Amino acid sequence: MSAKLNPLANPKGQKKLCEICQKPAHIQCTRCRVTFYCNTEHQQADWVSIHEKVCQLLILIRKPAPFHAVQADRDKQRNEIRRRQEELIEISQAAARRRLSEGSHQEALPAAQFSLRCAMDVYGSSAIRLVPSYLLMAEASMGLGKLVQAKEYLSLAEWTVVQTPNCSNNTLHQLHRNMGRLYAATGDLEEALWHLAEDVFYATEGFGLDSVVTCQGYFLMANVFLRQNKADIANSIYSEVARKWHIHLTRLLVQKHTQEHVQAEQLLDEGQRAEAEQTLRTLLEAQEQSSKPQLEQSAILAHCLAMLWYLSDCSEKALEFGRKAMELSQQVSELNLSDPIKALLERAEESLMVVKTN
Amino acid sequence: MSTAVLSRQKMPFLPDIKSSEERSSTPEGKSPKSRYRNPLRHNVYVTMLRQGFHRSFADLYSLMKFWNETRQAAGPDSALWKARSVEEQPYKLETLQLFLTRAEAASRAGDHGSVYESQLALARFFSHPEDKWLSHHFYQMSLVSARKIKIDGGKKEAEANAHIGQVYLEQGQVELAKEHYEAFRHLAAGRTWHDGEGRTHYSRSCEGLCRVYTLLADRALQSQEYKTAIQILTKAYEMAKEAGDRQIEGNAAYRVGLAYQKAGDQLTAKRFLNIYMEISKILSDANNVGKAYKAIAKSLESEDKLTETIQSLEKFAEVSQNSDQQQNLIEAYMSLGMSFNSRGQYDQSCQYFEQAYETACALESVPLLHKAQVCLASARAHRMLRAYIIHVEAGGRQSVQRLISWKESRQDTFNEPAHELSMLQKGQLDSYTQ
Repeated sequence: MSAKLNPLANPKGQKKLCEICQKPAHIQCTRCRVTFYCNTEHQQADWVSIHEKVCQLLILIRKPAPFHAVQADRDKQRNEIRRRQEELIEISQAAARRRLSEGSHQEALPAAQFSLRCAMDVYGSSAIRLVPSYLLMAEASMGLGKLVQAKEYLSLAEWTVVQTPNCSNNTLHQLHRNMGRLYAATGDLEEALWHLAEDVFYATEGFGLDSVVTCQGYFLMANVFLRQNKADIANSIYSEVARKWHIHLTRLLVQKHTQEHVQAEQLLDEGQRAEAEQTLRTLLEAQEQSSKPQLEQSAILAHCLAMLWYLSDCSEKALEFGRKAMELSQQVSELNLSDPIKALLERAEESLMVVKTN
Repeated sequence: MSTAVLSRQKMPFLPDIKSSEERSSTPEGKSPKSRYRNPLRHNVYVTMLRQGFHRSFADLYSLMKFWNETRQAAGPDSALWKARSVEEQPYKLETLQLFLTRAEAASRAGDHGSVYESQLALARFFSHPEDKWLSHHFYQMSLVSARKIKIDGGKKEAEANAHIGQVYLEQGQVELAKEHYEAFRHLAAGRTWHDGEGRTHYSRSCEGLCRVYTLLADRALQSQEYKTAIQILTKAYEMAKEAGDRQIEGNAAYRVGLAYQKAGDQLTAKRFLNIYMEISKILSDANNVGKAYKAIAKSLESEDKLTETIQSLEKFAEVSQNSDQQQNLIEAYMSLGMSFNSRGQYDQSCQYFEQAYETACALESVPLLHKAQVCLASARAHRMLRAYIIHVEAGGRQSVQRLISWKESRQDTFNEPAHELSMLQKGQLDSYTQ
């Protein structure tokens, strides 16, 4: 899979640099022959993260351009390369995002880096299109605890956004969310709150008031308020988050039942699912551990989790949480959750039976 | 000595810009630089969110969205299209921010009283016609939060109900207004709550209900359902009695009377109209007394009690004259004239129409003048008709002479003694015959 390479033996003027760390390379990927690494560890990391998916696609881009005598052919070649590069950006960003939602930041980093490099090749060094890649890099770095690097990437992203008027709300909301995360991590809570507030605002502008996109921003804000010892504000926001997810998941459940052919992935993508699972679980655990738990809140959260697991076709967990929700909702008299929970439990049991008989 | 010591202390010539302490001591809640770049609405929303007021944010955001959608739906031709959004008016937006956040902070602390106060303040703030919808929204909100207040025995809830009833009345949704006013009355019953002007809430609720019932009854009357109208109006009258305001009570009685009159039950109608008259007399409101006499006369007339009708109308005229109400006086004279006219007593009829005409001349009211003129003319014509017919039937030279002279002069001379005429026109007639 890897062939040895001596930097001194390279043709003059050509520098083979490591894909990961940009140092002189010593080995080469034997499949595409256009990617180089300084050692096998880097190659391994790149392979796992992104190279496996893009290895063959890279050949056309990186190999020396063949000579075409006619201008039309040269244009065609250039367009083909450009198209391929844009495709690569999308693939690598999706890969990085998936890794991030899985929580494996180390594996996300090479993919994010690759997407950034591709984007720079295509769009230049100060285009707004670079911002998603910057944000991925920042998020991965933050996950690894490399705050200085994260800050660097974020300030690059911010600078690009400031230079570009009429940015899309989506970009702005993601930028501010990451800034908020960063400041929360560095302990500058005031600044974090400002950025998270901007995040929620832009998310609301872009996706509407009831969208669950705003939930993560709210959740992070509530965490910051909790660190400032403002428990009442934090609790109020937590219940808002729970309420939003509850509405959203109930709606998805109805969709799933009314439209037979809809796949689970269409209703709830991987990133959202992971985010919801993490948020709701954290909230439920916090409720269970708190000294004066609000039963109503816990019931809603447990119901949310049950719906979430049912939607991702995991009937056992759905049953577990559904039973918990049932138990909790029976203790709260004014909550009308018993019927939907009962229906959910029945459906979950049904699908469990189907799985077992198969 | 001491000054020397002080002066020896190391004082930097320029302020120390590198010291981090100075810079980090920015006030709490400092805003980022982007504040100067973004529009006001953005800043307001973000400031609210930053302080954790997510409910205020959601409220305000959905209100503004609702407004924009209504505006889009109304299209560029509507008045709404040119109206300025609240988001573009800093004063209003900041007031909204202030009170919404105050309300949310209070609700977080469980102080529903303050929530109610804030919402009420907002509802009162948006009194301009173009902001009425906001005012209505906040009245609704204040009712919701007033229901959560437990300690004051429902006073706030009662007030909130009153406000909403008022709002629905303004919007013309009488049924809904009725519900809220009834709730208001129910809550205020047996309590001694006062408002700022010293009136009890209970009295106010009765008054409001009376108004609502009257409106409902008007609808029933329009669709000619007299039975329901009378039922509703009787309720209104009871409410008016409980409100303790004689004026309103009188008016309610008058309406019941009129409704009975329309339904054909003259006896009951008269009973209520008499109540109205008595109350009006006590209040010494001549206008209303006159109105009462007139209505009673109408009832009597439909019962064919003609003498009493005329008596009543004469009283109407008298009252109007005494209180110097020309308009009513004309009306009284006209009615009297009409009623004599219908009985064939054209002399009296003419007399009253003439009086009406004179009064109208004094009042310089052209439409009334015209009406009086026409009535007077027709009454006079009727009066003359009988004499004319007698002359035609009698035939003979003298009668024909009279008829001819009338045709020429168009002067009503039929009732004058015969010889005067014959003296006057003898020569003329002789010349004809020769």
